[in-house]
Parts: sequence; C-alpha cells; structure tokens
Amino acid sequence: MREKSWLRDYGLILLTGAAVGIAALVLTAAGNPKNMGFCIACFLRDIAGAAGMHSAAAVQYVRPEIIGIVLGAMAAALAAKEFRAKAGSSPACRFLIGAFVMIGALAFLGCPLRMVIRLGGGDLTAVAGLVGFIAGILIGVVCLRRGFSLGRAYPVRSGEGTVLPGIMVLLLILLLAAPGLLKFSESGPGSMRAFWCVSLAGGLVVGVLAQRSRLCMAGGMRDAVMLRDFRLLSGFLAIWVTVTIGNLIQGSYDLSALSQPVAHSQYLWSALGMALVGWGSILLGGCPLRQLILAGEGNGDSALTVLGMIVGAAFAHNFGLAGAADSVAEDGTYVVGGIGAAGMTAVVLGFAVLLVITLTHLPKKEEN
Amino acid sequence: MRQLRPRLVVTFHTTSGAIAAEQLCRRLGLEGKLISVPRRITSDCGMAWSAPPELREALAARLREAGVETAGWYELEL
Repeated sequence: MREKSWLRDYGLILLTGAAVGIAALVLTAAGNPKNMGFCIACFLRDIAGAAGMHSAAAVQYVRPEIIGIVLGAMAAALAAKEFRAKAGSSPACRFLIGAFVMIGALAFLGCPLRMVIRLGGGDLTAVAGLVGFIAGILIGVVCLRRGFSLGRAYPVRSGEGTVLPGIMVLLLILLLAAPGLLKFSESGPGSMRAFWCVSLAGGLVVGVLAQRSRLCMAGGMRDAVMLRDFRLLSGFLAIWVTVTIGNLIQGSYDLSALSQPVAHSQYLWSALGMALVGWGSILLGGCPLRQLILAGEGNGDSALTVLGMIVGAAFAHNFGLAGAADSVAEDGTYVVGGIGAAGMTAVVLGFAVLLVITLTHLPKKEEN
Repeated sequence: MRQLRPRLVVTFHTTSGAIAAEQLCRRLGLEGKLISVPRRITSDCGMAWSAPPELREALAARLREAGVETAGWYELEL
C-alpha cells in the first residue's frame, strides 16, 4: 500500500506560490510599481482606464499580466483536457458581487494577491487588510455553512467559454497593433510598467501554474477553516515568504507603516474594504485571481464576474470611491490617504448588497 | 507516515450540496468527512464527501431520498 506523500500534496502549490512571488519581484524590478508586481484589482482597473471607462489619468494601461494569466490558464486547461465551457450560476449576482469586490479592493488599494505582496515588502498597513480579509472569509464560511449557494453551472457551447480569453486576445492586439485607440498613463502607477513581453510571460507562467495547482487566496483560508486542509493556504504563505526573501536580498524590504508604496494608513477602511473582498470571494467561490483562472478554463460565470470587476473599477474611479495613497505634502507634513465619504458609503452599500444576495440564496425552510 | 486508504469520494455541483451531504450523514450516523475535491478528479476547487467505499449503496440511497444532487462518484486512495 502506498504512503501519503508530503511532496505530492504540497509540491505543486508551493512551487506555484514561489513562482508567483518571483514573478512579482521580477516585474517590479522590470518597471511595475513597488509592491505591485502583480495585483489583479489594480491591473483590471488599469485596463478599464485604458479602454476609457474611467478618466483617472494615473491608472490607465492594458496590463499584459492579466492577458497572460487568462490565456495561460486556458492553454493549461486545454492541454490537460480540462477546458469545459459552463455557465448559468446566478450570472447577474456574480457580476454585482464582482463589482463590489473590486470597490472593496480599491478602497484598500489591492486585491488579496497584492495584500500578500505588500506584506512581503514589509508594508504594515496591509496587516489591517489581512485582518479584514480573514474576517470577511469567516462571514462567508458562516453563509456556506447555512447553505448559501448561487446554484450550479451547466455545460454550454464552447463559444461561451472563450469569451474572456477572446477579449484578452483582442486587448493584446489593440495594445500591440493599435495603441492609439487606448489611453496610457504618463505619470502615476499606470505609467510604471515592465516591457510588455516580460509582463505577458509573467502572466502566462502564473496562469499555467495557478490552473494546475488551483491557487486561490480566499479558498486557502476557507479550506483551512472548514476542512483543516492547509494545501491552498500554503501557496498563499509561499508567496509571502518568497516576496519577503526577495525584498530582503534586494534591500527593498521596508518594515514600516509609513510612506509605503501605493498604500494608505486609514486602517479601519482598509480592513472593511478587504472584509468585503473576503466575503464576496467566498460567495463567488474564489478570489479575483481564481476568477481569471476559472474564466480561462471556460467558466462563463467567472468571465462575467471579471467584467463586473472591470465595471466596478470604472465606478470606483468615476465616483471617487477608490482609496488615495498616503503622501508627503510640500511642507513636509505626512498626509494620510484613504477613502472619502463616497468610498465609505460604497463599502457599506457593498456589505448591504452581499447581505441581500446571501439572504436570497439560502435554502428555504422546507429545504432544510 | 500514514498509509493511503481506499475511499469513496462523492462530488457535488455546488458547495451547498457537499454541506447538505455532511449534515445528512451526521444526522444518520454515516461515517465520512468533507474534503477538498482531489485535484486528480477536477480542476474545480469545491468540496467533496469522503467515505468508506462499503457505504456506497447506503449513501447513494440516502442522498437520493434527500434530493441532494451529486456530480460524480469515485474510488480513490487518499
């Protein structure tokens, strides 16, 4: 009889976490913003800006990392005969949840993946986000325990599963062949970018490995809490450790809560923003990165969730909901950033929307 | 190191299906536990019910009676 093998259980997910961490470090060294080698929320927000869906001039660029992740996942799924077009699991609710997950992430200034990368850079302001993210996941787990479900997806024609990969190919063509149709930031985070080939390659590697290993920031904590299964969580920790070691080697590790790159110290709203992300991700069945991977595997519901996130990003910047980074004024005073009244209202509204969706997707009494 | 044992793995279309199976089995005293769906079965990241293989018929009957829809039945070494 064979024995359980630690390497078989944890090898691929640890390799994926390390690869994501290295990719983030390489992309930062190649030009991406500091502590933002990878950020699904920020990069989808940049894509929304590049397409003219919002007019925040500092965050507009078609990020090839996102294109690479989706196409890498699709290639891996096709190679393993795991590409399956399916859809029909409450698509409108998923679109809405995706939009509010994005609003929560932009209140914090990063998705769960960037939260880990920020922690790996020594950014102590991200601890508030981590606390909120865990709290949101615990709320989501309670919902699952009570029978929450958005319903099952059904097999559909393969064309449905190729929608998001198709959009990604179109964006890549526009970026390379018709950049004049797109908007490009000339200053700010959107202007800081690695050469497109490097970004695309980084995305492809992450897409392939994340599809094979099922890496998911929210799923890791859900499985740890509900199943005492720490495999996915180990991928999350591998990213953190890899980025920390890489930053220490490069001398860019800055253990501090002040003047961190593209971060703010409005702790309560960082925590609440990420709580919204955590809860929404559990309801969706995966974090923003996982939604890209599932869309690459042919899941039309996840494709719609990603489109919801892009629309959420456009709303966040058009209506002043996104967080502003801490800064230093000309007279040298430290200016705490964060979100304003509109952003706070949107985050609270997000909790209300998730609550309504949860309550309307619990089993009826007679189904218990 | 723990030996791998043959297990019956039941998958569901939704997480709520897996949780309903867990609640049903707890109520009926049927042995088993919730696990993460093994990667070799699917690239989806849901939950599955793992039980001794000899419980297959009893489990199938109980789940059918309770109206819990399953996606697949597998016998694996876990």
